[in-house]
Amino acid sequence: MDNSPPITVRVFRFDPAADEAGRLEEFAVASAAPLSVMALLAKVRELDATFCCRTSTCFKGRCGSCLVRVNGRDAFGCTTLVRPGETVVIEPHSRYAVVRDVVIDFARPLTAEGESGQ
Amino acid sequence: MKITARHNTDVLVIGAGASGLRAALAAAEAGAAVILANKGPLARSGITLTAAGGMQAPLHPDDSAAIFCDDIIACGYGLADGDLVRALAEDAADRVLETERYGVNFVRDAAGGYTLSQFPGQSRPRNLFVRGGGIGLAAALAKACRSNPRIQIMDDFFITGLVRNTGGAAAGAVGLDLRNGELTLLAARAVIMATGGCQWLWATNDCPADATGDGIVYAYRAGAELVDMEMALFYPSVLVWPPSLKGAFVHYEFLAPDALDGNIYDNAGQPVLPKPLPVRDQAMRLLARAIKDGRGGPHGGLLWYVGDSPKGAAAVAAKLDILQYNYIRAHGVDPATDRVEVAPGAHYLMGGIHIDPDGRTTVAGLFAAPECAGNFDGANRLAGNGLTATQVFGARAGLAASRWAAENGGAGPDPAAAEAETARIAARLDRGSSGTDIAALRDRLRAAVQQHAGVGRDAAGLTRLAQLARETQAELAAARVPDAGVFNQRLVELLELENMAEIAGLVAGCALARAETRGHHIRDDFPARDDANWLRHTLAKRTAGGPLFGAKPLRD
Ligand SMILES: Cc1cc2nc3c(=O)[nH]c(=O)nc-3n(C[C@H](O)[C@H](O)[C@H](O)COP(=O)(O)OP(=O)(O)OC[C@H]3O[C@@H](n4cnc5c(N)ncnc54)[C@H](O)[C@@H]3O)c2cc1C
Ligand code: FES
Repeated sequence: MDNSPPITVRVFRFDPAADEAGRLEEFAVASAAPLSVMALLAKVRELDATFCCRTSTCFKGRCGSCLVRVNGRDAFGCTTLVRPGETVVIEPHSRYAVVRDVVIDFARPLTAEGESGQ
Repeated sequence: MKITARHNTDVLVIGAGASGLRAALAAAEAGAAVILANKGPLARSGITLTAAGGMQAPLHPDDSAAIFCDDIIACGYGLADGDLVRALAEDAADRVLETERYGVNFVRDAAGGYTLSQFPGQSRPRNLFVRGGGIGLAAALAKACRSNPRIQIMDDFFITGLVRNTGGAAAGAVGLDLRNGELTLLAARAVIMATGGCQWLWATNDCPADATGDGIVYAYRAGAELVDMEMALFYPSVLVWPPSLKGAFVHYEFLAPDALDGNIYDNAGQPVLPKPLPVRDQAMRLLARAIKDGRGGPHGGLLWYVGDSPKGAAAVAAKLDILQYNYIRAHGVDPATDRVEVAPGAHYLMGGIHIDPDGRTTVAGLFAAPECAGNFDGANRLAGNGLTATQVFGARAGLAASRWAAENGGAGPDPAAAEAETARIAARLDRGSSGTDIAALRDRLRAAVQQHAGVGRDAAGLTRLAQLARETQAELAAARVPDAGVFNQRLVELLELENMAEIAGLVAGCALARAETRGHHIRDDFPARDDANWLRHTLAKRTAGGPLFGAKPLRD
């Protein structure tokens, strides 16, 4: 039997039509094994279908579709690992405009370091 | 929900993987105005990104288009169309090298020549290797598209269906602009479908979650003929454990004696593959049989292992110091020393929309390019031919569509067709939600496809799958999701699942029709190859009464 403690995920929620500012919402994800932040977000989506996140993977850690901010630092969601029992804060990547929740708009970089979109 | 935005163009390209990007460039370079629509962000979605980067071209001094041609036909067990294969083999060298013009780099040897390696089924060394793999290819082509003033990119844009003009020709599409939530009409004189495969249908696969086969079903709904939908290619060694690595793959080719000389072991420590290694379809059959016989590990897979390689730890670590294996390392697993649990997984769709050598489908004004197109591989595919095909047929479809657009069109989408598509989408929206558990329906469907249309199929299982696909379609017809404004991911997932359920029925129907075993299509109840009856494509065509399944002769 599996007695692993759950992963506590605090995710950023923001609906541009209803919210003036974002907020963090907490979810407990049961997992016996470590999960990537990207896999974790998909699990949160299963718990709450209104939560939005990108789900397409390149399996290489290179394309950047998974860019997010993890515990205050910009990161690749697909190669950042979270272990059972840990608490993690997941927010939108800092260099792009937010579309909804943790989904960012790659066509609207906020800083010079964000790539030019189109 | 109503159409609140409209854009007009000459050529609409749906899907921005390697095929769609190349098609857009070809059409724009021929003078057409192009809209390139993609459901994810540009160069950040699609199967192309996952590609290792092997690309075939007959560049070796002992090689030729004719030898390449013969290899493709033999590898596909005679089921590829002759004229398409000739086009592929003859254009390959030019189209592959032309990618350098768009900024793609190939791995070169010390003398500056292209490194050409030889994979199973290739009778000459023919595999070039793109630096940065599929991501390198997509990124370079995407950059070329961005800087072409004739190409308008609309990404994060989910196409929901095609629209035709009153004469029945393809005249554009309706889509959801995810960034602003607007339902948008894209009116076009010609449409190129380049939406990739539907491997996400199978519970075990090594493709991104957006490989739901949307474009195949849209073309089918618009009347296009589909062929060989039963022909999914299964890669032998896709990771099934640990959970966060599910869907990545490890090379079974690396287990060869002249590579890392490892093996895949069963739960008693017995090697499952003989040496020299068999080609893909034979290798994956051996693995599937071992798993069926209960020789698998705790998570249903077999153990891929190179930790005891006679080449030594340093050589193994060096060979595996590449992106793909560093990705696995980031998940706490060291592929150089750990046992990795693998099983055959859906990797590539050989069937799809029927095309001619210029990408024409059976619907006027509608073209299709690579993985969603269906008749240039047959019952198996040579390594490295997937990416080459994106460039050859992408360019051909782009050129042919731009010509069609210049000579025809002007009629514009039939307003009634656009209205019908809008009504179909609007009907899925409600203030609340129907409470239908879409994720549960999805998981049930994917498990059934894996079980009944995976490696080893029979009439009873396929009939059950067809039934379940119909039931799922009926349950989804009652499903409603809220009108969530921007980035309505629930709506997209509902529409994708509807597409998947419809395709599952087509896969089951075609697999039932092909009463023989050939390449990756293994019928346990018809274990022999039957050239007398089945040197033909299976055919799926939409009729008012539902799908019609039959056969279609090969093109020569
Ligand atoms: C793990 C793996 C490794 C591989 N390695 C190789 C290799 O080394 N060499 C080789 O030759 N082949 C390889 N292949 C096969 C090859 O990568 C693919 O066949 C090829 O990249 C497909 O390109 P495509 O442009 O047709 O499809 P994709 O790259 O899938 O592009 C389709 C695009 O259409 C978009 N789309 C889908 N539906 C919609 C919609 N409704 N609205 C708008 N847009 C939509 C998708 O988001 C996507 O961006 C590999 C495949 C896999 C899975
Ligand atoms: S999904 Fe491609 S880098 Fe993370």
